[in-house]
Amino acid sequence: MNKMFKYLSFALNTATNARIALLTPETIFHNQLRTTFVVKRRLPLRLNKQGRPPKNISGRHYIYDVVEQKHSQKDPEIDLILTTYVDGLGNVGDKISVTRTKAYNNLLLPGLAVYASPENLEKYKDYVYEGEPHSSPTAALTVKSLGRTSVSVVMNMETPWTLKPWHVKASFRKCGYIVPEEAITLPDKPITGPDMNKQNKEFFVTVTINNLETVNVRCRIHHWSNELVNRVPYTPYFWEQPSEAILPEQAPILETLPIKPKKRKQQ
Amino acid sequence: MASKSVKTLGIFQKPTLFNKGIGALLPEAYKKFYKEWRFTEPTAVHYVPEPGRWKRDEVTGQVLPVQNVPIPLMYPKEHNNQMWGGEGIIQGFYQEGYQRRVPRFWLPILKRTVVYSEVLNKYMSVIVTNRTIDLINSNYGFDHYLLKTPACDLKSLLPLKLKRKVLQELQEGCPTYADQPEKQKEILKRYQSYLAAYTPEEIKWYGYSYTEACKMLRKQMSEQVKVVPLKQVYRSQLIEKLKAEKIEAASASSELEESGSWLRKINPFGKKHET
Repeated sequence: MNKMFKYLSFALNTATNARIALLTPETIFHNQLRTTFVVKRRLPLRLNKQGRPPKNISGRHYIYDVVEQKHSQKDPEIDLILTTYVDGLGNVGDKISVTRTKAYNNLLLPGLAVYASPENLEKYKDYVYEGEPHSSPTAALTVKSLGRTSVSVVMNMETPWTLKPWHVKASFRKCGYIVPEEAITLPDKPITGPDMNKQNKEFFVTVTINNLETVNVRCRIHHWSNELVNRVPYTPYFWEQPSEAILPEQAPILETLPIKPKKRKQQ
Repeated sequence: MASKSVKTLGIFQKPTLFNKGIGALLPEAYKKFYKEWRFTEPTAVHYVPEPGRWKRDEVTGQVLPVQNVPIPLMYPKEHNNQMWGGEGIIQGFYQEGYQRRVPRFWLPILKRTVVYSEVLNKYMSVIVTNRTIDLINSNYGFDHYLLKTPACDLKSLLPLKLKRKVLQELQEGCPTYADQPEKQKEILKRYQSYLAAYTPEEIKWYGYSYTEACKMLRKQMSEQVKVVPLKQVYRSQLIEKLKAEKIEAASASSELEESGSWLRKINPFGKKHET
């Protein structure tokens, strides 16, 4: 699972380094004037004399040019300190940077975070977290995502086989998850084949993320043949069809696993 | 009146809000707030002010004074129930090239959201602009924003009223957190410094519109004056006069008064009759 984040974190690090090195914008006015129309008179006003009442502003001085439309600009980011663990963002005391709208609506108003003011920075400087440990901010999201997937484990129809972690690893890769072999725990009883009785039947494997979080992932056996005639036809949305457990002792846990929600329209 | 004309050198002075009618009786505390609200230059929101006092014309080299005249803004009646954070409606013209100029309004973009006041410990649903949220963020909280911003920038009556409530709450020592003494102490410590700028009288009169202030003053004055019916005044005067002349009827009448009105004797519903 570590490999999964390796390249992403590398890309992010280079991006932040580049930002620090190249872009140091001055944001003095930026903070003051935003989300508003900033206008300028097309024709300058006549100068007022000292000690005299100001001259009238005539019609032509009301012709304005819009200098800036701040609300059409990108939502700026603000710094926060988390007060609770938030999925995908971080743990208590972590300093994060999120967009203004998301920060205000999703973090500050519910009380999940506070502003990174000097006072709060001092308060959360030496904070020690005592609670359920988390390996990384996004681990919980990965658990959630993996938990509702149904992986089709494609096996050979002719050659005899016993299910090994590398089979499941390849199937995970086809679904877009890069899982190392040592993170996959197969059921204790070996699953052997080819056996058409096991076609489209379920079992689950346990995936360990960063040697800490574990998640049970639903898998289905699918037999594959190089001979076109022998191939089992593909069932679209196979994960929505009810199925039986290959190993009867896994049945109660399989029932509790969540099913991937339907995205397409019901007809 | 002669002294007044001498003071003003005979020049007629236009009556203002604070020297005619009930306005002249308004306390100094309210006048101070009104000055902060109406006669102070607010922050430039809709224009970029030119820096410096003087500038030189690039072509002619002529030195000219810099005069930053703010863009005239309009405020509808509804804005008093909302928080625009210094924004307003710009009324003007839009002209492209040599075409005829066309009237145009530039309106602030309003949205409904929730603000949280830590001192009042309350979530409030209000209509704001994005600028208000920005100011709340840059001041690290709604209370800090209210307390740091002068009345001319808060502008509408809703935030001014909330500011008064926050100040009053701080003055009373945050009674909303009475059951959490530690938090109460922390909040008082955080916001105590803002109280130094105001006297109790100023807090009492802070954030009212002119009409509201006059109404408040009238109410205060009517509470002070205790109206006694003339009937009672004249009667007591008469009794005293009679007592002074030692007339027996006076003492009798005072007894009668104690026992009650003569009407009560006639009134069949005044007393429970035994049957």
